[in-house]
Amino acid sequence: MLKAIIVDDEQHCITRLTGLLQEVGPDIKILASCNTIAEGKMHIEKYNPDVLFLDVQLGSTTGFDLLSQLNHLDFELIFTTSFDTYALKAIKFSALDYLLKPIAKEDLYEALQKVRENRDLKETTKKIDVLFHNFKEGSGHSKRIAIPTVDGFVMVDTSDMVRLQSDANYTHIHTLSNKKITASKTLKYFEGILDGSNFFRVHKSHLINLSFVEHYLKGKGGYITLTDGAKIEVAVRRRDELIKKLIPNS
Amino acid sequence: MDQSPAMPDSFKKIFLVLLLFPLWGISQQSVLDSLQQELANHSAKDSVRVSLLIKTAGEMTYSNPKEAFPLVDEAIAISSETNWIKGESYALRQKGNLHYVMGDDLAALDVYQKAQHLAQSIGDRSLEASLLSNIGNIFADLKQYDRALENYEAYLTSAQTLGNVPDEIKALSNIAIIYNDTKKYEEGVANLEKALKLSKQEENDLFVAAITNNLALAYKKLEDYPKALLHYQEAADLAHQIGNKYIEASALNSIGTVNIILKNYDLAALNGRKALDLSQEIEAVEWQADSWKVLSEVYEHKGEMAEALHAYKEHVRLQDSVLSEEKKSELTRKEMQFKMERQQAEAEEEIKRQHLVKNGYLAGAILLALISIASYFLYKRRRDALEKRKVVEFNAKVAETELKALRSQMNPHFIFNSLNSISDFISRNDIKQADEYLVKFSKLTRAILENSEKKWITLEEDLELMELYMQLEAIRLDNHLEYSITVDEDIEPDNTLVPPMILQPFIENSIWHGIAPKGNTGKIDIQIKKKGDMLLCVVEDNGIGRATASMDTKEKSSLGVKITTNRIEIINHMKNTEGSIDMIDKKEGLRVEINLPLELQF
Repeated sequence: MLKAIIVDDEQHCITRLTGLLQEVGPDIKILASCNTIAEGKMHIEKYNPDVLFLDVQLGSTTGFDLLSQLNHLDFELIFTTSFDTYALKAIKFSALDYLLKPIAKEDLYEALQKVRENRDLKETTKKIDVLFHNFKEGSGHSKRIAIPTVDGFVMVDTSDMVRLQSDANYTHIHTLSNKKITASKTLKYFEGILDGSNFFRVHKSHLINLSFVEHYLKGKGGYITLTDGAKIEVAVRRRDELIKKLIPNS
Repeated sequence: MDQSPAMPDSFKKIFLVLLLFPLWGISQQSVLDSLQQELANHSAKDSVRVSLLIKTAGEMTYSNPKEAFPLVDEAIAISSETNWIKGESYALRQKGNLHYVMGDDLAALDVYQKAQHLAQSIGDRSLEASLLSNIGNIFADLKQYDRALENYEAYLTSAQTLGNVPDEIKALSNIAIIYNDTKKYEEGVANLEKALKLSKQEENDLFVAAITNNLALAYKKLEDYPKALLHYQEAADLAHQIGNKYIEASALNSIGTVNIILKNYDLAALNGRKALDLSQEIEAVEWQADSWKVLSEVYEHKGEMAEALHAYKEHVRLQDSVLSEEKKSELTRKEMQFKMERQQAEAEEEIKRQHLVKNGYLAGAILLALISIASYFLYKRRRDALEKRKVVEFNAKVAETELKALRSQMNPHFIFNSLNSISDFISRNDIKQADEYLVKFSKLTRAILENSEKKWITLEEDLELMELYMQLEAIRLDNHLEYSITVDEDIEPDNTLVPPMILQPFIENSIWHGIAPKGNTGKIDIQIKKKGDMLLCVVEDNGIGRATASMDTKEKSSLGVKITTNRIEIINHMKNTEGSIDMIDKKEGLRVEINLPLELQF
């Protein structure tokens, strides 16, 4: 039996989630449903839940505000949200789980399976740290990203990531300190998350950090050399856009 | 329900702009007839004819602007031949009005400025004042707020010196609109209060109503809701008294919105309904859309979901027609801004060129002159090249904007059909199906919203969208729909790019005009093949075919197909390709072949 708390400012969302949990999560016991940060904080401290379903947008405040007010973050966290690209982006960076509203039964089932199978409070705390880090630093600073690997998560600053190399369903991430992290996700997954950061897909197999470009060698598509010495082929169809990124006013 | 994406700020300010054209209301046909009669009788090329021409054109401003151009042109020609500057300047102003009404702001600006020049030379202050305000309006339309403000301020000063209070009021309110548009609400309020005081002195009820309404909007923006409500109510009452339903409906709608913010739902509903009745009476679509939005929010808060859905649907339907108008005007605005920048650049270069030539001449050195000529040609060559690049870039931008507009037109189309289905499930009390449908629908909507901003998405993503779409339609058809999707092996779906949702209208056609009327289970086969440097997408059904489909359904089906044809044409134009759509009638059903340029991501 897992103890759960739901925090959502909209009652109909709570009703729906409660109803769905009765169907797909008979082992989940809802101890409290709260509409505000204050209520949520009180019940979390009182009941010490195993799982927290947390709405991202709580009136004029956010679920992140609630998290920042808690002394102990020892529960599994599942965000719920409707359509908020900015917050969703932050959540994706931290590799925390989320459900899109209206919640689909099969999505909830999957999320619960993940909680049941890989309960690991240490990992969750680390991910929440990443979330806080990205919020504190603001837009000007380097973001941190939680990288899923075969045995847990590794947290890396995006400014330390030099290049990401595709290897079928895995991705090798080369860092500034010449470490290689093998992630259990596709390159497309990272391209999606890092969209809008200073990364560029030069080739089907390579996503590079534009800050580390040393040279561009002309050619059919050409080659890029990075500060770590890697020489990477540029796809013909990516060349023009790459040049635009490297020399903005050309 | 989520907030609708980036709707323009509803609950409007009432412009005093149209009032600025002196004395042209809706003209009576009889007045126009007698003027035309007089014109026919007076053919001598003199100042009487000029005045008649300007007057007649003036009467035609709102009813038939296009045909009034020959009249003003003649007036300009006669005045210029007879050296009657006053006549020429008034004729030019009238020509500007015609351009403005027809939406050609830039041409209007050009003639207004000529008229202004002439008015200055003969010291006609009141004509100058009216031109300043018209020019201000154009800059406001073009969102060049600084220059609009400059002209309005000059207009204000001139009205004050001439002691013309109505003009002063108009100047103050238009200045206020600019401040409010640039979010300087405090300054806006100050100017509006001044204007209000003056119009009360003048006992001009129409001005008082319009200004009070604008004032209320500014207070609403300042989040001073009690004050906003008070002013809206005053504006509504006064508008009612003088029988101006346009202002009354707008004010009532706003009372509705403010009451929603204050959680007085009954009051909001009452005002929303009143506004709806009024705006339906005067056929003001935008206002009706606003009323439905108010009502939908009220119903939602009261938990009357079916009513809320109905109201929301009405809101979106009406808003949609307003929006596509706005898209069009946005496009024209961009175009004008570009033209204006180019003219300015040319003028600056002209000045520079003249300096260059003049200096050379003054130096008296033939050599220097030669060098300057040579350098001018070099310079001109560079300028021309720059110009050309700018034009090319602009064309690309226009094409892109058009494509975006076309993509966005697809969405409402789609949302309505789905809302209808949900509503149908609700009325049949099939809650489980309605829920399953709604969850899938929201997934699809999310994906469409994310993708409609993109020019191209991968084939893989697009086919996923189409599969989700067909699943939705299958639920609507009580599962009387089967489908298959086949992609040839020499195609990499994750590396091939297609314009988002390009196949959707054809699938929709097949389902609703081919399979649904058939009565039993139908099938759709989608095949993607490579043909040289083209991507062939085939949508094939075993429905009743086009020959059997009724005229009515054929017409309905044409919108989506038309939009898609336009999209492909624009792509062809941009990429110099030969994309095409072919519809082939089969013995049983229809086969649509869509040829797209094969675009790869890498």
